[in-house]
Formats: sequence, structure tokens, C-alpha cells
Amino acid sequence: MSESFNMDNLPFSLLTAKEQELLNNNLDIAYFQKGETIISAGEVPEGVFIVLKGKVGESDGSEAIDQDVSAANVFVHYQDEDYFGGWSVLNGRAIHNFIAVEETICHVLPTRTLMELIASNALFADYFQQNLTAKREIVAQHGQNQDMAEFMLARIEDGTIREPLIVLEGTSIAEATRMMREMKADCVLAKKGNRYGMVTGTDLLDAVIINGLPLESDVSEIASYRLITTDPQDYLFNALIMMTQQQIERVVVMRGTELLGIVELTDVLSHFSSHSHVIGLRVERAQTVEDLREASRGLTDLIKALISTGVKIRFTMELLAAMNGRIISKLFDLVIPNDLRPHVCLIVMGSEGRGEQIMKTDQDNGLIFRDGLEWPEKHAVMRKFSETLISFGFPPCPGNIMVSNPEWVNSTSDWANKLNDWSQKFDGESVMKLAIAVDGKPVAGNAALFKVARNAFLRSVRNNDIFFSHFAKASLNFDTPLTFFGNLKEKGVLDIKKGGIFPIVHGVRTMALEHRILETNTFKRIEALVEMEQMRKNHGENLAEALSLFVQIRLKHQIQRVEESQDGRDSTPNAIDLQRLNKLERDLLRDALRIVKDFKKHLASRYHIGS
Amino acid sequence: MIIPRTIRRFKERREFRDSPYAHLFEPYKGDEVVSLDCETTSLDVKKGEILSIGAVRIRGRRVITSERLDIKLKPPASLTGESIKIHKIRASDLADGIELDEALEQVLAFVGNRPILGYYVNYDIRMLDKYIRPRYGFGLPNKAIELSHVYHDIIKWKTVGGDVDLRFDTISKKLDIPIIQRHTALGDAITVALMYVRLKFGAPLAE
Repeated sequence: MSESFNMDNLPFSLLTAKEQELLNNNLDIAYFQKGETIISAGEVPEGVFIVLKGKVGESDGSEAIDQDVSAANVFVHYQDEDYFGGWSVLNGRAIHNFIAVEETICHVLPTRTLMELIASNALFADYFQQNLTAKREIVAQHGQNQDMAEFMLARIEDGTIREPLIVLEGTSIAEATRMMREMKADCVLAKKGNRYGMVTGTDLLDAVIINGLPLESDVSEIASYRLITTDPQDYLFNALIMMTQQQIERVVVMRGTELLGIVELTDVLSHFSSHSHVIGLRVERAQTVEDLREASRGLTDLIKALISTGVKIRFTMELLAAMNGRIISKLFDLVIPNDLRPHVCLIVMGSEGRGEQIMKTDQDNGLIFRDGLEWPEKHAVMRKFSETLISFGFPPCPGNIMVSNPEWVNSTSDWANKLNDWSQKFDGESVMKLAIAVDGKPVAGNAALFKVARNAFLRSVRNNDIFFSHFAKASLNFDTPLTFFGNLKEKGVLDIKKGGIFPIVHGVRTMALEHRILETNTFKRIEALVEMEQMRKNHGENLAEALSLFVQIRLKHQIQRVEESQDGRDSTPNAIDLQRLNKLERDLLRDALRIVKDFKKHLASRYHIGS
Repeated sequence: MIIPRTIRRFKERREFRDSPYAHLFEPYKGDEVVSLDCETTSLDVKKGEILSIGAVRIRGRRVITSERLDIKLKPPASLTGESIKIHKIRASDLADGIELDEALEQVLAFVGNRPILGYYVNYDIRMLDKYIRPRYGFGLPNKAIELSHVYHDIIKWKTVGGDVDLRFDTISKKLDIPIIQRHTALGDAITVALMYVRLKFGAPLAE
């Protein structure tokens, strides 16, 4: 009956009411002074601890217990309803020291009770014992997803209100049908006096075929004037309910007596998932740079919509990469003269080449042209290309890796030589440039030009252990900060790119290069590595899961910051503000960072990198 | 006739030397304390009746919430509007409450001869005594620990000459202890227990 314990958090929310009661009846509360050891390595812990107040640090057990708890060997912090000691309890012995960093009050769940709960509740046991992948699945199934609520809260005016096709009284059926065909509308509103009547395609068919009306008859005669209407402020969800109940496929949107448009069932259903389709069409149809700019504006909303419906981040990224690719290649077609296109190849590199860019962060692109091509205006044209992309909202690359920079406009053999050069120098800049370049992917023009250079490069580094050792080293450059939880020194901000994303991406990149995997996407590279048995299946899954978690959390923060900022820009795209993480996210993030840490250890031993 | 508590306790200890309750009068040797709280219908001991009793043991610096007392009593006649507003216990909440006799047995068994801790603990002890004395012939002989005194003794050095604010919420805020279910007997007992442990074992209070 002690309500001091919050059962709403995973994994405790997985317990049945009876199990929660058992838990509650066996909880104690322990008080620890600053610096006090709660669990020490090598000992049998008395149970799992759940922090009620305060902060606890976990540190490596191999070293002697250090009284200075702020020392660098602390690698995880626990606070606010985090639990710790689960591992130790299940293993029977603690492998790490757990020390109160500040005064701490913890609930103590004794081992005996924990075991009982694990035995009686399979899901709870899974959550406690399993790896990150399993945990995320449990989370997904249990829908701790507030974003779903946003979907429910979308209003009609947020969705696609179609402009109605309106015909006046006296328009013939034949004329109305023709107009519908022209406007690609599947219904028409007939205006009679100051009333509107709906005529659908089915109505037209019925009138002509079944009732045998002549084609000249007035369309307003067959219209139905009992319109089902809705207010633009109403929830999209309600429109859906209305349509289901009335068995209709469209409702008319009215603000007072003003006709605003029509919402169709298909639009409602696809509002969140297939914006992409609409944008895609607009991109394809664009005739001018201006059209294309308009179309590309919808992308940001599309991203938000996809995220809010809980579409898996990986697929969102894939879709977005495809969309960005289409915009860029369309622009290429608009800007590059027709006769030149078979002789040049536009590549996107870095995160865009990997298909892992979600918000339009920056453009990393380059141009490869056929050896000996005469095209004096190329730099001028490319400068214009970059500028146009910037005006579309793709910010310029801070490292100036753009086609506007002559360094990234090369003939095929020059490009191959450059790759080679970089691979033989081991300075940071060369490694970085090479890393960006090997993620390159052709998006427009003649892809063969790109492949020739890439294949030549892959041949040159084959079996070159020294190169791979140096290349891999970059992934260990940044510390993976497991201590950041509640760490005031860093003001509670984590650079997720350095700490989590980069080590995975670069480590996987190195392994993929070594095994000459042509995929550029990190997830696909991981799959390919697993396929080739260069990586254990569960390791691959965990890495992929960790990466998508990082991306997802980062994206959430980016969207929030863009919404809060005045100019719609995000100056710190990789910062994770710890204050904004909920308990569950912290939990998952911690697990994911552990996976990164293990992966780095693996890389270090595989590529013989001394620290 | 008002007999001071100490004298009466001494006298009762002798009287009950051979009764089954003799152990209650033994001086306590262990390291446990019982934090206890009663919710009542009135703050006046004479008029008030007990609605619920909550208690937890404190062992060293640990609050043993797994060993606790959480008693609801049958609703008394005096359960009316005013007190309901504070503790939000209605007659219907006490529908499955137990008889007072049974409750007192449980309290005596749970507390034993351990010191009793509380916030304005004398009120709770007097309240219990009011019912214990007619039934058993003695009052609770336990040593009483007043949380606000423990707090006052520590805080007074910092606020020379000033009055110390001894309100429950102030203390909890000063000690940075979360209030657990205010105005339920068990919740208050746990909160007080945590405050006590904090005062007893924690770092000196920062001002």
C-alpha cells in the first residue's frame, strides 16, 4: 500500500496488480550518505535499487574502490527512478561498484522478490534480462508513445483539404464529367442558389447508366444537398469516425457558411503516411526551379508526420533519403544541360550518401566527370547548383564539401587518385575526407563514372591492414560518455554524434570497406556484415537498434529546437538536452551507449589499436 | 489527578512485571525505532477518535517499509465534515476497517518496547493511550522521539535568536525529503522516518 513507489515506469508497469502488490509489500527504503558504497564489486547484492532521490554512480570494479566518486572511472549515473543492480542480482555477484554521488534515498527490491516476479511474469523477466533490442520491442508494444496522441490530435485544417470543383446550376452531366476528368477530381459540388450539392462519380454513373438520364441533363438535379459537414477546427480523427459511421468517403469542410473544401477518406488515412506520395509527385512534375523549391518545402512536415505516427526511424530515413535524392536529381536535370548529363555524375556523400540524414542538416556533394571532358563553365554551373540547394533549405556544408568547391569537382581518374592519396595519409583531415567520400552514392547523371573510381579505390586498399587500422582509429576518438546522466559539468548536454552515432557509423564503415561491401547505409552495411559472418547476428541487431535510438532521440530534440527557435534553425543539431529525456529514454540511451562502448572495444582489438 | 508520565511508567512497570506485557516495559537495547502516525477525527485528544494507524520500523539508516502497519478502523460516530476535509477519509473508505481491540493488539505487537518516533508524537501516544489504558491498565511506556525536536536541536544553531519553523512541509523541504502521501497514516509515518534517518545520519544541513 506504500504509494511512494512509482509503478508507472517500465519494467514495473508490466506487472499485474497482484504482482505490484507483492512488490510493494517487500520494498524497503534505504538512505545513503554522499560517498557511501551501496553495492560493492564482488559482493552478493541484496537486491535491485530504485532511486527515489539523489544520484548514484557505477564504477569499474577492477579498480580499488575510490572514495573520490567524481573520478573518471565512474561510467554511469543513476537518478530519478532509475534502477540499478539488476545485472548484479541476476549474476549473483556485483561486478561494479555502486556509490552514492550525493545523498541518496533508494527503494530496495530484495533479490528473493525480484526472482519471484521474474518467474511469474515473462515480459517483466524479458525486460530485466534482455538486451536493448528486446527492450525496445517491449516498449513499442506497450505503446508508451505520446506521439500517438499527436496523431489523434491533428485537426482537419492540418490535413489535406481539397479545393472543391464547383459547377453552377445548369451545367450538364457531360460537362461536369469532363471537368472532373480535367481537374482529376472524383466529385463535384453543384451550386444551386446558395446551396451546394455533392455529386460523386458513382452518382454520375447511376444517373446515366441505371436511370438513363440524357447527358445534357442538369447536374444539379442529381446532386445530394444533405451534405455531411465538418469544421476546420475539428479533429481529423472525428472526420474519420464520421465517415465510418455514415459510410461515406468525403465530408465537406465549412467554416460557418463558407465552403472551404472537401476532406476525403483516402486523404485522412494517408495524411500521416503518404505525404511522401504527394510531395514525390510534385517533385516529379516540377517544371522550374521555383516549382521544385515549393515541393521541397513540404519535406519538413513530412518528417514530423512520419515521426508522429511512429513509423520506424530507419524507414523514415530511407524514405527521406529517397526524397532528397529525387529533389537533387531533379534539380540536376533542371540545371545541367541535356547533352552533358551522360558525361558527369553527381554524388551525395556523408550522411546523405548513407541515407541517414533526416532533417536537412547539410549538403555533402561532389561531381565526377568523364576524363578529358571539355566543359569550361562547370564551376559556374555548380556554384549555381549549390546556391539553389541552399535556397531550398539544404544548409551549406561547413567543411565546404560541395560541388561549388572545385576540390570536389573531379574527373574520374583524379577522383580515384584523391581517394588513394587520402588513404595513404593518416592525418585527421584526410581520414575525415575519405570517410565522407566512401559513403558516396551517385544520385544523378552517369553512375558508371562513379563506380569506376570506387572500384579502383577498393582494389587499392584491399588487405592493407595498416590502412584499416588507422582508418578505424577515428571511431575511438571521442569518449562515449556514460557518465553524462545528470552530470552538471556538461550542463546536462550530450553530443550524441560524437558519443554514439559516429563510433557506430565509422566502425561499421571501416568493416564494410574491409569486406568490400558496396552498400553505404549503415543498417544495410551491418546486415551485410552479419550475412558475411563478420559480425554476430545479435551484435548487429543491437548496433542497429542503438543507432536508430540515437537518431530518433536526436531528431526529437531537433524538431523541438526548430519549433522553439525564432528563425526555425537549430544551431546545435547534435546536442541532447538531458532535461528533456524521460526516464524511459534515459534507460534506453544508457543501454545503447553501453553497446557503443563494447563495440569500440571490439574495434580496438580487431584492428589492433592501442589506446 | 495528573501523575507525571515518568513516574506513572515506573509504577506501571512494577505492576505489570509478571503480566504477558512485561516485555513492553523492558528498556530497549536494539537499534530500531518505530515511526508511527494516527489519522484522527479531531486534534483534541478528548474528542478525537482514531481512523487509521500507520507505522514502519527504522533499522539503522533503513526504513523497513516491508515491515509495516497499515490499519484502517471501523468508522467512528464522530467522523464528520471537518476532519474529512483534511485527511479525506470517508466512512465508506473505512467500510472494511477492523475493530479497535484488534488494532491495539497489532500496535503493541508491532511496536514492542522500541522507541516511538513521530511528528508531534505525544499527540499520537496520548491518543493511543486513551484507548489502551482502559483496556490494559497501562499507557504506552515507550520512549518517545519527537521529530520536530530532533530537527530543532540541529537547526537552532544556524538560526540564532530566530524562531525555527517547525511545520511539516518546511521540515521536509529543508531536508529535501519527498513527502510521501501526505495525510495518510502510513505515508506520514514513512516521510517522518525518512526525515529522521536524514537528520540522524545525513550530512550537516546546508543553510
